[in-house]
Amino acid sequence: MNAVFTIAWRDIRATFASPKGCAIFFFFLGFMGVFFYNFLHTFVELTQRAPMFGGEAPTLEQLLRALFYNLHFILILVIPAVTMSSFSEERRNQTIRLLQTSPITATQIVLGKFLASAAVLALALACSAVYPLFIKVFGNPDGSLILTSYLGIFLLMCAQLAFGLWVSSMTTNQFMAFLFTMFGLFLLLILNWLAPSVNSGGLMETVLKYVASTDHLDMFFKGMLTVSDVTYFVCFAALFLFFTNVVLDSQRWR
Amino acid sequence: MWLGLAEHKLWSNWGFSRMIEVSGLSKRYGAVQALRDVSFKVESGQIVGFLGANGAGKTTTMDIICGCIGADSGSARIAGYDIMEQPLEAKRRLGYLPDVAPLHGEMRVADYVSFAARLHKVPSTRVQQQVTETLERLSLGDVRNRLIGNLSKGYRQRVAFAQAIVHNPEVLVLDEPTEGLDPNQILHVRELIRSLAGQHTIILSSHILSEVQNTCDQIVIIHNGEVVQQGSVAELAGQLQAVRTYRLRVAQNVDQLIESLSTMGHVLSPRVVNSDSCELEFGFSKEANEQLLDDIARMVINGGYGLRGLAAQTRSLEDVFFHITH
Repeated sequence: MNAVFTIAWRDIRATFASPKGCAIFFFFLGFMGVFFYNFLHTFVELTQRAPMFGGEAPTLEQLLRALFYNLHFILILVIPAVTMSSFSEERRNQTIRLLQTSPITATQIVLGKFLASAAVLALALACSAVYPLFIKVFGNPDGSLILTSYLGIFLLMCAQLAFGLWVSSMTTNQFMAFLFTMFGLFLLLILNWLAPSVNSGGLMETVLKYVASTDHLDMFFKGMLTVSDVTYFVCFAALFLFFTNVVLDSQRWR
Repeated sequence: MWLGLAEHKLWSNWGFSRMIEVSGLSKRYGAVQALRDVSFKVESGQIVGFLGANGAGKTTTMDIICGCIGADSGSARIAGYDIMEQPLEAKRRLGYLPDVAPLHGEMRVADYVSFAARLHKVPSTRVQQQVTETLERLSLGDVRNRLIGNLSKGYRQRVAFAQAIVHNPEVLVLDEPTEGLDPNQILHVRELIRSLAGQHTIILSSHILSEVQNTCDQIVIIHNGEVVQQGSVAELAGQLQAVRTYRLRVAQNVDQLIESLSTMGHVLSPRVVNSDSCELEFGFSKEANEQLLDDIARMVINGGYGLRGLAAQTRSLEDVFFHITH
């Protein structure tokens, strides 16, 4: 376990030692800010207009949900940026030899890398909480909704990170790792829109919809924790971490 | 941990002396056969030079010994532990300096070395002490807080060295440790390797013969993925001493001289080296004694060829290497 933390700590420090770490925080929080401003503006406008037109005013929960769905979108760009270097850069610089010749297992390396990228993004997520908290302070939304949404986003993030690590472990080119991770995650996101056109109403559609990441977030965003959704994300992450482990281990006998 | 220590003590108590044992390694990269049945053994405390031209298979062999890549067949054992079967036990006793130094440019020297120490399971209470000792030993104390990316090549190589020895491994594998260093730094690295001998078993690869000749006890010569020669430095040089060659310069009639030399016993393959300057070369067989040289000199003078020069050709490992690989 010590080796896992040693690797993770080095990676975290490396992320913030380079401009990359700052750039990720800058873009992530910057875009969140833009969205937040935009949504809040619309929210206020709609609230003011509602009595005039006799419609229903939007709720704070709706505002939060819109915010979190967009967070999910930004992650598609941020996740590949975090994971792209984790293995491919080490392989390109040959620094991976230091890990390979140390008395540690491939699993420890994978977990260390995973922990590092999860920690960096968890910190970014924690910082982004300033926007929902702003709403919480000045309004009275359902507090548990914010918590479950963050838990959902965190689980989703872990699953996506595992996918990104797997892609990164297979290439020595950071850019390729970025590209493939981004398109992979995007595909996962749009699967439930694609599903009906694949085989409407069939088993295939059910399966594809289950694999798609978006549907599993809905419950979290409604303030509910369901075992099946948590299981989905945990299994997703575990599966791709296992794949990464296989890729890494196979380098010993290839 | 305790078990590992106890085992280690047992081995040394029983006089377990074979630190590295490589047997029948083969490796193929697609169509290229990189290694073919490579076997050698290194006794405890020895320095072994692993000699070969570029692309001969040195780095591949070292990568396999250190468990970075796998072999198609054959095995490598470090202190009795198979690198594939018991990688953790084997790697605990191993320090590796790859051909491309595995350095993180954004880390500080001391941080990097202590990272390597932690990875190699140095107890956390001793990390600080061992890092300081290692840095002092490699005269890196002055740069301990500098970023590795800003260091010069010589310093970087020493940092990479520090990474390999910080955990006091029993076996050290050094892949071209002096590559790209200036002559002063090369001397420094050689001294360092010498100073590590005895307490560590060292394999060191190089394509520079003088380096191996100066630092190593044993030499393994590899060519096109095969071990073509192995033995001590003295043995290999002695093999060539058995065939002595001389160079002779005369004033005229080289061709005629060659003919008369060919008819003499114990003179091997006389040939013209340069017909303009009338230089020729010949060898002596093992049975010939030095008297034969007098006879030849007499023949040159009496025959009116005009003696201009006669010199013994010095042969070094350079020649062994050239001889074997061509």
